[in-house]
Amino acid sequence: MILEHLKRAGITLVASLPDQWLGSLIKQCESDPAITHIKLAREDDGVGICAGAYLGGRKGALVCQNSGLLLSANALAGIAFHHQIPLLVLAAHRGGFDDNQYYQMYKGRVCEPVLEALGLPHRVIDGPEELALIEDAARHAFLNRLPVVLLLRRRALMGQQ
Amino acid sequence: MKRVALAKLVKERLKADDLVVCGLGATEAAFKAAGPVGPTYFASDPMGLWPSIALGLALARPDRRVTLLAGDGDLLMNLQVLATIAAAPVANFRIVVFHNGAYSSTGGQQLAGGERLSFAAVAKGVGFEWAFEAADEEVTRRLDELFARPGPALLDVQLEDEPCPSVPPGPWSQVEERTAFMRALLALDGAA
Repeated sequence: MILEHLKRAGITLVASLPDQWLGSLIKQCESDPAITHIKLAREDDGVGICAGAYLGGRKGALVCQNSGLLLSANALAGIAFHHQIPLLVLAAHRGGFDDNQYYQMYKGRVCEPVLEALGLPHRVIDGPEELALIEDAARHAFLNRLPVVLLLRRRALMGQQ
Repeated sequence: MKRVALAKLVKERLKADDLVVCGLGATEAAFKAAGPVGPTYFASDPMGLWPSIALGLALARPDRRVTLLAGDGDLLMNLQVLATIAAAPVANFRIVVFHNGAYSSTGGQQLAGGERLSFAAVAKGVGFEWAFEAADEEVTRRLDELFARPGPALLDVQLEDEPCPSVPPGPWSQVEERTAFMRALLALDGAA
């Protein structure tokens, strides 16, 4: 479902780093012949890869945990935002009411304020009924030449589990 | 070997329809002194991201050869990107490392790892089929091999540790530079 929205948004390149909630999406990206799936070892490389792809006329998305956004703050601000290079980020929004691990909690607390400080447009997607926002967010990103971030809660990524 | 000499040797092997991503600081100064050939994206701040940007460009344009002129400090900052590159479908992507072991633009501070640091060894270790170190008279032959074979491939060139005069800012912002590069690439496509 998420992948279908990405493809309808014209995204053909996905760079990912796994999270427990992202297993299904990453598996689909890996097996879909219409998607070039790139395996990251660190999330800010994904910002760079999507930026470089845009220079060559291709639309990319970064798929990672929200902690990857904290790590990628410099790349998002210094490459994507500052050069006006668009990409879409889909991040598992760990550390909210729907999470059950203490070590995740700081991510839910600080991620949105950090995105605010960076000036990056972002929305939280609570469940599968809101996934069409992926196409809207991608359109917004490429229209404005800006990185746009979607923070996906457990139910949006894992259904009712 | 001096860095401008390496930049000239790379330039001799580039074609007008090749794309280049050039690292910042001393690498930028060297390649600007040699003079770019085709569309060239000159890096700016932040460091560490230019290998991944060059990879993205190579993924988007499999019809063109993409060469990254990598500063050693820039490459060391996100060294794990070599594992991502090794696993990516980029036969069109080649890396030349300008390796003088120092952060030249900021006063010549030595890189961690110092003289033992080998980017070729790291590249081999993460899965590059072709990665070599070269110095002095070996460089010409290894560059010929690099451009004759499919990528991803990496040549780690040992350079003298020369001082680098700071590069004054150019007249264009990074947004304007980015746009100019994309338009140059489109013009190239139209001419093809």
